[in-house]
Amino acid sequence: MTKTLSLNALSLNRLGVSVGIPLAAVLLALALGALLVLAIGVPVGEALAAFADGAWGSDYAIAASINRALAFSLVGFGFVLAARANLTNVGGEGQIAVGGMLATAMSLYGGAAQLPGPLAWIAPLAVAALGGALWGALAGVLKAKAGTNEVISTLLLSFIAVWLLYWSVQSEALLRQPMNNSATLPESLEIPELTRLPLLTGDAGFPLHVGLPIAIVLALVVAVVLARSVFGFQLRAVGLNPVAARKAGIPLTRSIVAAMALAGALGGLAGGFMLQGDQYVLKAGFSSGYGFDGLVVGLLARGSIPGVIAGALLFGFMRSGGINLEMSANVPTALVGVIQGLIILLLAAAAFWIERKESAR
Amino acid sequence: MSPEILAVFCGSTVRLAAPLFLAATGELVSERAGVLNMSVEGMMLTGAFAGAVGSWATGNPMLGLIIGVIAVIPVALLQAFLSNTLRANQIVTGIGINILVLGATTLAYREIFGARSRSEIPGLAKWAPPGLGELPVFGEALFRQTWLLYLGLALIALTAWVLARTALGLSIHACGVAPKAADKSGLSVTRTRYAAVLFTGIMSALAGCFLSIGDIHTFTEGMTSGAGYLAIAAVIFGNWKIGRTLLACLLFGAATALQFQLPALGIEVPNALLIMLPYLLALLAVGGLVGRQTAPAALTVPWRA
Repeated sequence: MTKTLSLNALSLNRLGVSVGIPLAAVLLALALGALLVLAIGVPVGEALAAFADGAWGSDYAIAASINRALAFSLVGFGFVLAARANLTNVGGEGQIAVGGMLATAMSLYGGAAQLPGPLAWIAPLAVAALGGALWGALAGVLKAKAGTNEVISTLLLSFIAVWLLYWSVQSEALLRQPMNNSATLPESLEIPELTRLPLLTGDAGFPLHVGLPIAIVLALVVAVVLARSVFGFQLRAVGLNPVAARKAGIPLTRSIVAAMALAGALGGLAGGFMLQGDQYVLKAGFSSGYGFDGLVVGLLARGSIPGVIAGALLFGFMRSGGINLEMSANVPTALVGVIQGLIILLLAAAAFWIERKESAR
Repeated sequence: MSPEILAVFCGSTVRLAAPLFLAATGELVSERAGVLNMSVEGMMLTGAFAGAVGSWATGNPMLGLIIGVIAVIPVALLQAFLSNTLRANQIVTGIGINILVLGATTLAYREIFGARSRSEIPGLAKWAPPGLGELPVFGEALFRQTWLLYLGLALIALTAWVLARTALGLSIHACGVAPKAADKSGLSVTRTRYAAVLFTGIMSALAGCFLSIGDIHTFTEGMTSGAGYLAIAAVIFGNWKIGRTLLACLLFGAATALQFQLPALGIEVPNALLIMLPYLLALLAVGGLVGRQTAPAALTVPWRA
């Protein structure tokens, strides 16, 4: 009896550490952000109102924030999955770019719109995920075969993908829309109606799309795979001690490549969501920072899927609010960058105390 | 290719490689000591911004340069504190600092300059080594550069000498390869790594100042646009050796300079591919296709005494 009680107290304490510290960090960063708003000379109330309005002030704003959060959460799930094998996937940005490019190609020129029923939007998503998987697997192969540090390779692959994306929308031979005059923008055509992700309510005023249920299912799948499956166990074994894992007969190369490929697939899917769910047009700035935000969400979640969801929602609402901050209150969006940076650094610093508490147990 | 075009090409290669030289040398020292400074991008941006503001406010680019270097110290100390004292994940802290600095400099730039964003910022003077500057064709195009470039080259030569020939260089190497042994022999790993990160900061600030007050005499939001990551790529491509790192910077500079030269020669290569080239080369290098790469054994591993 006393044993269960103390166990409960322990897990409550652990909950306090894993929720309390991040919450404190977020609040502290927001307070510092408010001070900055004051320093700029904008009334805090006005800035807050503009932020809230952009983040959750209307049905449209709420849906846009959640749609953003979906992309962050997918990259975050991928990060957590790879992290289980002690792999750090810094490549979300590139995987999103690859996913976005392939989803565009499939939607515009791959005949996706002619496919029957929901296949019209599922096929581009699948191609996006596949492309992301290959992009991620590349880093996995380099890691397993050449011992290349995956932090470095995924970072380099991100830059390569971002410039490939830039090229693809600059070149008419690739994805750029046909140039009718010199003012034709360097971006793709709009993707056909049928290839867009269906809206859950069918109402463009509340454009929450079918990516939400997909992401929820994926969250459950990733959580179950990590906690209950043989593959999840193998990943953890590889992460904890690759030498022992190999001795125990776990295929090292295959586990590493599979982990990176799955993380990449989730990143590619995030790119598909962004293109088919709310942007509809491929532009050079398509992936701007989404992969890095997703990476940070994954990092801050410290291996927990609910943590990824919480962080993704936070970042999704912050981004939407920040955009409105600039439009209605004349506070540069850059403020959100400052707050995000502060949150990341505060949490990175807090990890020190969290780990000390955990190891003290 | 006519000698004139070649001279202009060489000149712009060196000019574009110069900030990479500085930042990559700084990054190299810190990586050799075991700290992967992803924040080199943010450090460069800090230097570029503070240097520009300082130069604009005082009307003196030399003071601007000094202010740029001073401004980077808190940023470098933050990185050093997080990664060495709190043993935080070096990638997280680096990206966090980059996001923070990009936001902070953008915000501050709009506040300080606002409508005055077109106002002239005094820049560093150009200088050519006596004799070389008078060479036909190449003298003007290649050797007449911002004097900071020559100061930078001297600093890099000094760094190479320290790394290769002094006890300090040996300590740095030991901290990155075998921190435990270094600690046993009475060396303070933490202190060495703090100093290495601080050195990266100063070199990156000089690199940033080269961009803002050395090269284009203005500041634009996020003007480093990935140069810091390029510096990291150069260190990797250079296999953590200073000579090869500098060569990599030169190669990256040449790839960037080609963007402006190729159209003049009537060759159409998409810009994006040339900008991508350095990253692709670095990837091939770390993939083992350009010889075996060996990173310092304790790179990114926090030290616990």
